[in-house]
Amino acid sequence: MTDLAFEVRDVSYRYQQVPALDGLSLEIRRGERVALLGANGSGKSTLLRLLAALHFPDRGDILYFGESLSERRLQDEEFFFRFRRRVGVVFQNPDIQLFNPSVFDEVAFGPLQLRWPRDQIRGRVYETLETMGISRLADRAPHRLSGGEKKRVALASVLVLDPEILLLDEPAAALDPGSQSQITDFLVSWGGGSKTVVTATHDLDTLEDIADRCYVLENGKVAGEGAPLAILHDVPLLERTKLVRPHHHVHDPSAPQPGPHPHLHRRP
Amino acid sequence: MHIPDGYLSPSTCAGFYAASVPFWYAALRRLRHALHTRMLPLLSVFSAFSFVIMMFNLPLPGGTTGHAVGMGVSAIVLGPWASILAISIALVIQAVFFGDGGITAIGANCFNMAIAGSLVAYAVYRVAAYRAAIGSTRRVVAAGLAGYLAINTAALLAAVEFGVQPLFFHDAAGSPLYAPYPLAVSIPAMMIGHLTIAGLAELIISAGLVAWLQRTDPGLLERTAPDAAAGPSVRKLWLGLAVLLVLTPLGILAVGGAWGEWSARDFADPQVRRQIAAASANHAPPQRAPSGLQRLSTIWTAPLSGYAPAFIRNAPIGYLVSAAAGTSLILLCGLLLKQLLPDRRRRRKTFIEKTTTTLARALQHAFFAEETANSGGFLQRLDPRVKLVGIGSLIAATVAVHQLWMLAAILALAVVLARLSRITLRNLSTRVWIAVLVFTGAIALPAIFLTPGEAIYRLPVLGWPVTSQGLRSAALLFLRAETTATLSVLLILTTLWPHLLHALRFFRVPVVVVVLLGMTYRYIFLLLETAREISESREARQVGVMQPADRRRLAAATAGVLLSKSLWVSGEVHMAMLARGFRGEVYLLEDLRLRWNDWLPLGALTAIAAAAIWFGR
Ligand SMILES: Nc1ncnc2c1ncn2[C@@H]1O[C@H](COP(=O)(O)OP(=O)(O)OP(=O)(O)O)[C@@H](O)[C@H]1O
Ligand SMILES: [Mg+2]
Repeated sequence: MTDLAFEVRDVSYRYQQVPALDGLSLEIRRGERVALLGANGSGKSTLLRLLAALHFPDRGDILYFGESLSERRLQDEEFFFRFRRRVGVVFQNPDIQLFNPSVFDEVAFGPLQLRWPRDQIRGRVYETLETMGISRLADRAPHRLSGGEKKRVALASVLVLDPEILLLDEPAAALDPGSQSQITDFLVSWGGGSKTVVTATHDLDTLEDIADRCYVLENGKVAGEGAPLAILHDVPLLERTKLVRPHHHVHDPSAPQPGPHPHLHRRP
Repeated sequence: MHIPDGYLSPSTCAGFYAASVPFWYAALRRLRHALHTRMLPLLSVFSAFSFVIMMFNLPLPGGTTGHAVGMGVSAIVLGPWASILAISIALVIQAVFFGDGGITAIGANCFNMAIAGSLVAYAVYRVAAYRAAIGSTRRVVAAGLAGYLAINTAALLAAVEFGVQPLFFHDAAGSPLYAPYPLAVSIPAMMIGHLTIAGLAELIISAGLVAWLQRTDPGLLERTAPDAAAGPSVRKLWLGLAVLLVLTPLGILAVGGAWGEWSARDFADPQVRRQIAAASANHAPPQRAPSGLQRLSTIWTAPLSGYAPAFIRNAPIGYLVSAAAGTSLILLCGLLLKQLLPDRRRRRKTFIEKTTTTLARALQHAFFAEETANSGGFLQRLDPRVKLVGIGSLIAATVAVHQLWMLAAILALAVVLARLSRITLRNLSTRVWIAVLVFTGAIALPAIFLTPGEAIYRLPVLGWPVTSQGLRSAALLFLRAETTATLSVLLILTTLWPHLLHALRFFRVPVVVVVLLGMTYRYIFLLLETAREISESREARQVGVMQPADRRRLAAATAGVLLSKSLWVSGEVHMAMLARGFRGEVYLLEDLRLRWNDWLPLGALTAIAAAAIWFGR
């Protein structure tokens, strides 16, 4: 069996007229933590949806452990359940993801759809709520949660399935710094580091904690690839892909660049 | 249009539930077989959309505002069967959660608006749009026509349902037990408002939203336009629309007159006369029991007394005049009560402000309901299934009993239950009683004069007679409406919505329906928030005075933005469901056992309801 969780080969995708991905290729190895960086509209969310087999490429191919992810393949019930069981997605907008009448029902939805034995579900749901620190919200309706609570519930609703591959779309966006670091810490320690985690983000501050490797996307293409530190040092790439603000002062190209870019260091 | 509890007799309610069930069943079966998994989120979001649209105050010619139901656009986008479900779900949530429309009348309301409304809208749209191209103006006109006719069909059905109540359900003395007006009054009273205000609102919403979809998402119009091509010109259709607009009121009046005659004859029926005579044994029965319509025409002629020209007393004109008099009396009472009772702050507001207020109030109501449901009073501690059955049977009893004292006793019980459940009288009166007073009060008050029977008092100057039958009938209607509204608000203020949904499974409500109710409710809040944001931001931008036509365009555009957002949400939700293993079938975790200590309150509540029905016959 191949060690590549996902292999994206020259994939293009467009929404009606709007091109979102344009000949994109990348690889995600099993057990690896990969960050997808890119400005707004660069195609991060679209890529995650293709990896989750929610959209299918117009051109090109996506291989999941060597098997092509096609609409046909997903029709096969056995493959569908195996895939959904192992690949979890947390969407960018938690309002979309929380469609059940209560937090408990929300977290129980996945296990129920995947036909887990009923007597295990209740216990497993409470366990997950406990781990995420949201047990007291079990009976709440999703429209009465704060943004951060919604994110946690969305995360819990996916983690309850204990997926091997987790696709996260800006998990820490719209959170206060406290919850942000809590969520990040949780994800860093989750699964003892054996899980495959793909995170779409434009937050450069936590990059080193959440990723072993990054891809930088620009206009639906890969514009750069490398270890977090290398990417953080590649200022021209970051400026070109609008991940940092272009500088107003003029750089002296001959002067040595001391360490990481000063603007990126906001963490204590 | 939303028939409250207490206006229709139990047998009418049961009949309409029975008539609606086959349609619901057929719709569910069709959806399961014919449609893909996208339908579930699409349906629930559409249902939420229609719910929110019902809260929109649409500006109409003449400075008034009206509400649409959204059946036109939902039948056009979803097709008739899915539309039946979408509108029904919205109506159920309105009735149960927001007390808009009665719980016992859900069958009738769904039959009128969801079933008849969707089918008529669909048929009219298909016929009128014929093979016109998806983007053609003809489709917009056809949509407007579909909406207009659909809502008026629904209103006519409701009017007939009201109008037959006094024929079939009256006590021995001739007091109507439910809706008190005969067809000759109920039809014009309902239709005047719908042929103008509500019909126009529906027309604007349907046409506006189809035009919106032509520009933003034409693919959605293809489902109900299988043979769209370049179609014939639009002009003939405009003409047809104009002719229809002119003819319908006349037709309705003609039909109303015909039925009016029938009811008049019924009231003059010798057997009814004998019953009246038997009931008032101590009084000499009047030589000729006055028919409802003759009574009405005497109201009209009473102030004129001898001066009235003779032709006014002739029968056909008498019917027309009396129907007009009855109708205007009802409308007048409504206006007066609205002026006298609170909400004076709301006057002189623009439609956008009104909409914002309505939306904010709905959100506030939901938050308040969740607060009280969590506050741990007596009813809050009961199992939701016990409450559903217990309070449900009390509501049924309220509709079934015929004695005023028994209605008062049930109302008192409801108040005691409310106090035990930490709901204050103040809350009950602001949330329930005043609203019912305004609405049902306006409808019940004229019945005091219009109901045929023994005059026990005459108004000075006008000389209108107050009849004992009229008094009793108005009191019955009013007390029933207050009591049922109090009971249903008790249910919702003490039960969390998810718990109520789980309770429904206990009664073998199909899982799909429970899931639809849950998702719709969830997305109502998302759309309410969105709608509020849109209308607030527009409000901020539109300070200057606008032309009426611009205001209508603005309202339609606001609804359009909301529709686009709804459709986008439904697509995204579908993704989110797929990602967690949804394949078209849904499952629920349910716990169907009742604990032993649930049986006691269940038994008590149902026993009280049964006793009330027995002693309050
Ligand atoms: N549902 C949609 N319909 C049409 N176009 C879309 C849709 N979703 C995304 N797009 C377009 O596709 C492109 C890529 O969008 P995508 O959501 O993948 O970007 P992103 O990198 O996730 O951006 P962000 O950082 O803002 O989340 C954008 O140009 C966007 O406008
Ligand atoms: Mg995104």
